[in-house]
Amino acid sequence: MKKLNPASFISVFILGFLFWMVITGQITAIFRNEASLQVIVAGLVVSAAVSLFSARFFIHEKAFHLCNPARLVNLIFYCVCIFPVELVKANVDMAFRALSPALRINPGIVRVPVDLKSEYGQAMLADSITLTPGTVTMAAVKDGEDGDRTCFYIHWINVESQEPEEAGEKIKGNMERAIRRIWE
Amino acid sequence: MRIAVDVFIVIGLFFALAGTVGVIRMPDFFCRMQSSTNIATLGVLGVVIGGLIYAIGVLGDGGMAVKIAIIGIFNILANPIASHALMKGAYAHMKKPVDGLVTDQLGEDLVEEDE
Repeated sequence: MKKLNPASFISVFILGFLFWMVITGQITAIFRNEASLQVIVAGLVVSAAVSLFSARFFIHEKAFHLCNPARLVNLIFYCVCIFPVELVKANVDMAFRALSPALRINPGIVRVPVDLKSEYGQAMLADSITLTPGTVTMAAVKDGEDGDRTCFYIHWINVESQEPEEAGEKIKGNMERAIRRIWE
Repeated sequence: MRIAVDVFIVIGLFFALAGTVGVIRMPDFFCRMQSSTNIATLGVLGVVIGGLIYAIGVLGDGGMAVKIAIIGIFNILANPIASHALMKGAYAHMKKPVDGLVTDQLGEDLVEEDE
């Protein structure tokens, strides 16, 4: 079993405690001066216990990587500007594809190389690809001679290109560049 | 304010309709999954954003707004994992390379590994 890393314990604890405060409504209760000490102490105990058991599965790399203004701004920019644009474009395309009388589909599974090194970045890219309608990540495998490169196998509803590099540019283009700025 | 709420909810309903029609019309499992992503992203997000504006602008209820936002965030976080698992599970039970696809590079690579 992996050893528990203090930084990952602290980050999961903070996340769990914040979540407890929001769900139980204590955050707003503090401002109205009617917070209940009992509920807050229970939250502290529960989040400490949960993070003791689950932190080693959640956080493998640097736990406080995002505590850096530049990266945080990049992350917010990605979540607010870049990803929604891709999402809406793909959604409109997919909706008209489903509603059009001819049902223009051309499905296939293509192999796409990914240049991101960080595990978080790869997970984020795979989730972003899956969330955009029309593309779903089916498998991620380590590739290359010494296993340093990752490849995604992506099911694509309308295969425009079977060349790995060209297909990759069409599927992940902007998203990968933005994610690299966040995690590397 | 009510007009903005209605616009977002109608957008959400339109994408949910498109997704449902897609699920019925698509030929095989993978394409149906693709179409159902449509419902899970903009279909749900449109309704969630509409509800968010309603909670803040019309009712003025902060606690409700936070809960609606959490629904949206969890939907975004959990949904790709579920679709990925379903696709992978369905693929594992098929003969490779799968019929009906233009290209199946995953199946080809798997067959090569076996030989």
